[in-house]
Amino acid sequence: MKKQGGGGGVAAAAVAAAGMVKAELEDVGIKAAGGAVAALSPLSETLWREKAAAEFLGDVSARLAWRDLTVTVVLGGGGGGGGTTQDVLQGLTGHAEPGTLTALMGPSGSGKSTLLDALAGRLAANAFLDGTVLLNGRKANLSFGAAAYVTQDDNLIGTLTVRETISYSARLRLPDKMPMEEKRALVEGTIVEMGLQDCADTVVGNWHLRGISGGEKRRVSIALEILMRPRLLFLDEPTSGLDSASAFFVTQTLRGLARDGRTVIASIHQPSSEVFELFDRLYLLSGGKTVYFGLASEACQFFAQAGFPCPPLRNPSDHFLRCINADFDKVKATLKGSMKRRFERSDDPLDRIMTSEAIRRLITYYKNSQYYFAAQQKVNEMARVKGTVLDAGGSQASFWMQAFTLTKRSFINMSRDFGYYWLRLIIYIVVTVCIGTIYLNVGTRYSSILARGACASFVFGFVTFMSIGGFPSFVEDMKVFQRERLNGHYGVLAFVISNTISAMPFLILITFISGTMCYFMVRLHPGFTHYLFFVLCLYASVTVVESLMMAIASVIPNFLMGIIIGAGIQGIFMLVSGYFRLPHDIPKPFWRYPMSYISFHYWALQGQYQNDLKGLVFDNQDDELPKIPGEYILENVFQIDVSRSKWLDLAVLFSMIFIYRLLFFAMIKVSEDVTPWVRGYVARRRVQGKGARGARGRGADLAAARSPSLRAYVVDAADDLPPA
Amino acid sequence: MEYGGGREGGGGMNGNGTAYAGALSPAARYAESGGASLTWENLTAVLPGGGGRATKKLVQGLYGYAVPGRVVAIMGPSGSGKSTLLDALSGRLARNVLLTGKVLLNGKKRRLDYGVLAYVTQENVLLGTLTVRETVTYSALLRLPSTMSKAEVRRVVDDTLDEMGLRECADRNIGNWHLRGISGGEKKRLSIALEILTRPRLLFLDEPTSGLDSASAFSVIETLRQLAVDGGRTIVSSVHQPSSEVFALFDDLCLLSSGECVYFGDAKLAPQFFAETGFPCPSRRNPSDHFLRCVNADFDDVAAAMKGSMKLRAVCPAAEEMFEADFDPLLKYSTSEIRERLVDKYRISEYAMMVRNTIHEISKIEGVIEEVVMGSQASWCKQLTTLTRRSFTNMSRDFGYYWLRIVIYVLMAVCLGTIYYDVGTSYAAIQARASCGGFVSGFMTFMSIGGFPSFIEEMKMFTLERQNGHYGVAAYIISNFLSSMPFLLAVSWASASITYWMVKFRPGFSYFAFFALNLYGGVSVIESLMMIISALVPNFLMGLILGAGVIGIMMLTSGFFRLLPELPKIFWRYPVSYIVYGSWGLKGAYKNDLIGLEFEPMMPGQPKLTGEYIITKMMGLSLNHSKWLDLSMIFVLLFAYRLIFFLVLKAKEAAAPYIRVAYTRFTIKRLERRASFRKTLAMSSMSKRHNQPPHPMAVQEGLNSPMPY
Repeated sequence: MKKQGGGGGVAAAAVAAAGMVKAELEDVGIKAAGGAVAALSPLSETLWREKAAAEFLGDVSARLAWRDLTVTVVLGGGGGGGGTTQDVLQGLTGHAEPGTLTALMGPSGSGKSTLLDALAGRLAANAFLDGTVLLNGRKANLSFGAAAYVTQDDNLIGTLTVRETISYSARLRLPDKMPMEEKRALVEGTIVEMGLQDCADTVVGNWHLRGISGGEKRRVSIALEILMRPRLLFLDEPTSGLDSASAFFVTQTLRGLARDGRTVIASIHQPSSEVFELFDRLYLLSGGKTVYFGLASEACQFFAQAGFPCPPLRNPSDHFLRCINADFDKVKATLKGSMKRRFERSDDPLDRIMTSEAIRRLITYYKNSQYYFAAQQKVNEMARVKGTVLDAGGSQASFWMQAFTLTKRSFINMSRDFGYYWLRLIIYIVVTVCIGTIYLNVGTRYSSILARGACASFVFGFVTFMSIGGFPSFVEDMKVFQRERLNGHYGVLAFVISNTISAMPFLILITFISGTMCYFMVRLHPGFTHYLFFVLCLYASVTVVESLMMAIASVIPNFLMGIIIGAGIQGIFMLVSGYFRLPHDIPKPFWRYPMSYISFHYWALQGQYQNDLKGLVFDNQDDELPKIPGEYILENVFQIDVSRSKWLDLAVLFSMIFIYRLLFFAMIKVSEDVTPWVRGYVARRRVQGKGARGARGRGADLAAARSPSLRAYVVDAADDLPPA
Repeated sequence: MEYGGGREGGGGMNGNGTAYAGALSPAARYAESGGASLTWENLTAVLPGGGGRATKKLVQGLYGYAVPGRVVAIMGPSGSGKSTLLDALSGRLARNVLLTGKVLLNGKKRRLDYGVLAYVTQENVLLGTLTVRETVTYSALLRLPSTMSKAEVRRVVDDTLDEMGLRECADRNIGNWHLRGISGGEKKRLSIALEILTRPRLLFLDEPTSGLDSASAFSVIETLRQLAVDGGRTIVSSVHQPSSEVFALFDDLCLLSSGECVYFGDAKLAPQFFAETGFPCPSRRNPSDHFLRCVNADFDDVAAAMKGSMKLRAVCPAAEEMFEADFDPLLKYSTSEIRERLVDKYRISEYAMMVRNTIHEISKIEGVIEEVVMGSQASWCKQLTTLTRRSFTNMSRDFGYYWLRIVIYVLMAVCLGTIYYDVGTSYAAIQARASCGGFVSGFMTFMSIGGFPSFIEEMKMFTLERQNGHYGVAAYIISNFLSSMPFLLAVSWASASITYWMVKFRPGFSYFAFFALNLYGGVSVIESLMMIISALVPNFLMGLILGAGVIGIMMLTSGFFRLLPELPKIFWRYPVSYIVYGSWGLKGAYKNDLIGLEFEPMMPGQPKLTGEYIITKMMGLSLNHSKWLDLSMIFVLLFAYRLIFFLVLKAKEAAAPYIRVAYTRFTIKRLERRASFRKTLAMSSMSKRHNQPPHPMAVQEGLNSPMPY
C-alpha cells in the first residue's frame, strides 16, 4: 500500500495499491471510473508530493467508518433540577470511502448536523459521544485541519475579490518556503476547480456592495477549505438557500472533488431531483436513527421492498423525506381538524398510515435488511485494515507570515469598506467643524477658562464615543475570525496584532484630520509640541475606545447588547473623568479609586488641561483684578496635579491601548478554551448526577482533543410544530 | 354584508363540477360558480429604457386565467418574470413599467383594489411578541367595520384561525430574536390569515414556500387549496422550487422562462406536454424540477463552467467522456435551445388553443362581484385605540424595547447618584449641580438610541400595513406616542427619583415633579427624533451613526458645553439652540435647582452667592420667564417633532413611486455593469429581492442575530 508521487505513475500505482478502494467503487457501480477515481489530480499532487517524498507515506486517502455511534445531549434544565439528557443519535453505523460523495439526509431535527459534527469531532461541549469513529482503521482525531469542515453560513470578507480571498487564505496557511509561483498556481487551480473563473475578480459583497451570488459564495467557502487539499471534506448543508442551478453546480463540484479521491460527506436538506442524482451514498436519518444507509441509487428499491414505493413522477428524495418526516403527521392533524369536507381524496398510500408508523416500519426493516449487514461487514473490514495516519494539516505558515498576511488583508478590507472607517471619518469631520465653529477662536477671556475645559471634555468624551459606529464591522470581523480559527488557519495572537496594526493608519488619519481642524479653529495653546500632544492624545483615546469595543465584540456577539454596554461603560468613564465632577469631589471609594484611574478619559483630560492651560494667562472677572495664570486654574479650578508631566498622562493612555489589546486577546482565549471546558464540565456533572447514563463511562475521554463548536444544541424537534 | 356569505357562495359549486356538462371547458365550469375569475390576454410588460438604454421586456405575450376553486402556480427560474406577472395581475407594478394587454375580472376591466384582492408578500412582517390570536384580532379590529360587535369579531377571528389551521398555536407567541416562537410555516399561514380576514375573493401570494421545510411548505399550500375549494376563492401564487408533494397540490401551472410562457394549463397535463415536445420527465423525478431544469438558462452556464474545471481534472481523456455520460441526457441540447423549442411548440399547441378558448368562455360568463369597500372600514377612533393597545402590548412584552433601557437608566441613575451624592451648597457644588444637570439631559437621553432596532422593526410593520391601507398616518403617530408614554414616564420617574433623592436637590415635591417632567420631556423629544431618523434611513448602522451625531451636536449647543451667550450668533445660537430641546431643558433645570439657594463664595469671607446671581452672571441666562415656560417649550418641541414625523411619513409616501422608479433604473444600471454568471438576472430587476430566499432556514431556528441589514 505505498505510492511514490509523480506523474502518470500515480494512477497505475494507486489502482494497484488501493485495490480495495477500486473494488468497492466498482461495486458502487461507477463504470470505468477506476483511473479517475484513485488517482490524484495534478493539483492535489503538488501538495502531497512533498510529503510523500519526505516521509514514507502510503495511500493518502481517507477511509472513515463509524460504529454504534450514540450522541447524548445534556440540556440546560431551565427550570433547575439539573437538566435532562436526550439521545440525539442512536447506534449509527456507516462508512465513507475515498472517491464517493455521501449525503446525510433527514427532516429537520433528525440529527444530520449532529452526525456530521460527531464525525468531524466538532460536537458542542454539552454533547457526549459513545461509539467509535475510525479513520483508516484507527481512532480518529480529526480536529484542526486533517479534515476540512465547511459550515452553513459563508462568513467571508465582503470587500475582497474572490481571487484575493483565496490567495490570502493560501498565504496564511501554505508553508513559507513554498515558492510564490507555486502558491499562485495552487490558487488559480483551486479557482478553476471550483468553477469560479468568471467571478474571480468580482468582490464577494456585503451590505452596501453588491457582489457574487449565493451559489458562488458557497463555492468560495468550499474553495477555501480545499485549498490545503484535505482528504476528508465535511459540509453542512452546502445547498441550502441556493436556487436549483446553483445547488446543482455546488453538488456537481463536490462530486468532482470526490472523484479526485477525496472522501466527501455532506448533510443536505431538500435536494432537487438533479442534485439527488449526484449522490453516491445516502445516509437517511429520522429521529436520530438510521432509516437507510447504502447506495443512493438503491434507496428507491429499499423503500419499495419496505412497502413504500416511490410513485412515478416524484423526486425520490422528496418521497423519502415525506415518509420519514414526522412533522407531516402534525400538519395533517392540524389540517384535518379544520377541513370541512375534503380529505377523502387519497391517491397517496401515506395518507392511510401515520408517518410515525412508517418511520417505525422502515427502521425495523432496515435493521434486518441486507443493507444493514453489508454496512456492518464493511465497517468491520475497514476497522481491521490499519492505514496511514493522516496528520493534522492546520496552518503551515510561520507566525510572521500569518501576521503579515492578516494585516495586509485586514488593511485592504478596511480601506474598501465604506462603513468601517470612511463613514466615521466623514462624521468626525462634520462634528469637528461644529465644535470648531462653536468654540471658534476661544481666546483668554475669563469665560474662556470653562470653555476650554468644556471643549477638551467634549472632544475626548464625545468624539471618541463615535467609535461605537464601528461595532458592526467589528462583529463581522469576529465572525470571519471565528470561522478561520475553528479551521486552524492562524493563531489568536496573529489576529490581535494584525488587527491593531491595520487599524493604525486609519485612526491616525482620522485623528490627525479632525484634531488639526479642531486645534486650529479653536486656537488652543500655540506651539507645535502642544499641537502634537493634542493630536497624539486624541489618537490614543480613539484607539483605546476601539480596543475596548473590540474586547466587547469578542464576548458579546449580539449587536444591540454590545452597543448598549459599550455606551454605558463609556458614559460611566466620562462621568468620573474629572470634568463632570471635579477630581477631589468624586466619592473616594469605588468612583475615585479605582474607577477614575481606569477611565481613559481621566488621563486624557488631565494631560490635555495641562497641555492647554499651562503658560497661558487669563483675564479676571473684572478688568481691575489681576490676571489669572493657567497654573492657578489647573490647581484650583480643575484640581489637577501640576507636578506630574503631561507626557506621563499620554504614556498611561498608550499603555492602556496595550492593556485593552491584551484583554481582547485574553477574552478570545477564554471564550475559546475555558468556556467550552466549563460547559462540558457542568454537563458531565449533570450526566454523572443522573447516574445510570453516566455510568457507561462516557465523558472521560470526551473532553480531550475536541475542536470547539459554534453550535449549541437545542433540541427542538418537538418545538417546531405544536403537538398534534 | 360579506362575512359568511362568501362561504355559502362558494359552497354551491363544490362537487357539482360534473353537473355542468355543457360544451364548456373544465376550467370555465369553475368560473360559472361565481366568485372572481381573472383572465389575462396578450399581457406584455415593458420597462422603457430612457437615456440610451434598450427597452426591456419583462413579460411578453402571456395568456391565462385563474378561476374560483383552483390554485394557479406561477413557476420559473429566478428572473423569469414571475413577480412581474404577479404584480401586473394584482395592479402593483411599478409606475415606470408599461403594461399592454387585457386583464379582466369576471369579463370586465376593473381596477383591482384592496377588498377585492389580497396580496401576501414574501416577507412575513409580524410583531414577534404578540400571540397568533392577538395578531389576528388586532388586525380584525383595525379593518372590520366598527359596527360589528365584539362577539362577531371574535367569531370572524376564530373562523379564520380554523380555516388556516392555526387553532393549536393560537396562543403561542410569534417569536422574535430573543423569543422562540411559532415555526416558519405557521408564520406564513398567519400572514395569509391576516389577508383573508376581509374575505377577499382573489388571493395573490409571492413565493409563500420559500425558506420553509417540506412539511411546512406542504401545510401552507394544502391550506391554500382548502381556501380555494371550500371558500370558492381564486388563488394565484408564484412558487420557487416546489417539492414533489407541494407541486402535486397545484391545479393550474403557468411556467415562465425569460418572460415568455412555456406552458399554461392544467398542472397534471404539463408532463404530457413536455413529453410531446421531446423532453419527457424521467419517472424518478419531480416534474417541477424537470421543468425548471429544462428552462433555466443558468444550467448552460453551469455546464460551461463545469466543463472548464473538468478539463483540468481529467487525467485521461476517458474521464471527460465519463463525465459527459455522467452528467445529464439533457446536455445534448443547451438549455436555451430547449427553451426555444418549448416556447415555439407551446405557441402552436392545442394547450395554447385550449387556454384561449377557456378565456373566451370565461369572459362570456356574467359574474357578479360585490363591491367591497377598500382599505379599513373601522372608524378612526377604533383604529387609534386598537393600534395603541397593540403597540402597548408589544412594548410591554419586548424586552429590548423599554425594559432593557429601564434597567440601564436605573443603573446610570445609581451611578450618577453616588457620584454626586449629597452635593451640598459649597462653591464647588455650583459647578457640580450644573454638570449633573448637563449629564442628565445629555447622556441619559442618549441611551434612547438603544431602542433603535425596535423602531426600525416597527417602521417596517407600519410601511406594510400602511400600503395595505389598514390605518392612517396620524392614527399611527398618535398611538405610538400614547403607548410609549407610560414607559417613558416610568423611565424618567424612576431615574429622576433615584438621582433626585441621592444627590439631594432641593426638597419639595413641585421641584421634584419639575425635574421628572423635564427628563420625561427630554426623553420623549429624543425618542421622536429617533423615530424621524428611523423613517429616513435605510438601515440600522446609518441610523445609529446619524442619531449619535445629531444628539452630539444637540448636546453641544444646549448651553452646557458652551454657555448660551457665547455660542456664535449665526446658525448655532439662532436657530439651532432654540430648536434643540437641551437648551430649554437646561434652562429650566438650572432655574428649578438654583433659584432661592445660597452658595458659599469662592473665597471665605466674601458675601454668599445667590442662585439668581449664578444664573444671570455665571450662566448668562435671563430670568425673564419662569421655568414652567421652559418646560412647556419642551412639550411644544415634542409636538413639533411629532408633526415633522408625520410630514416625513406623508412625504415618503408621496415620494415612494418616484423612489421606486429611480431604484429600478439604478438596479438595471448596476446589473448591466456586472459581468458575471448571472447576466440573465437583468430581467428580474423589477423584483426587489429573490435569487435567494431572504430567510434561510437558520432564521426559523432563531439562529440569526438581530442585525437588520
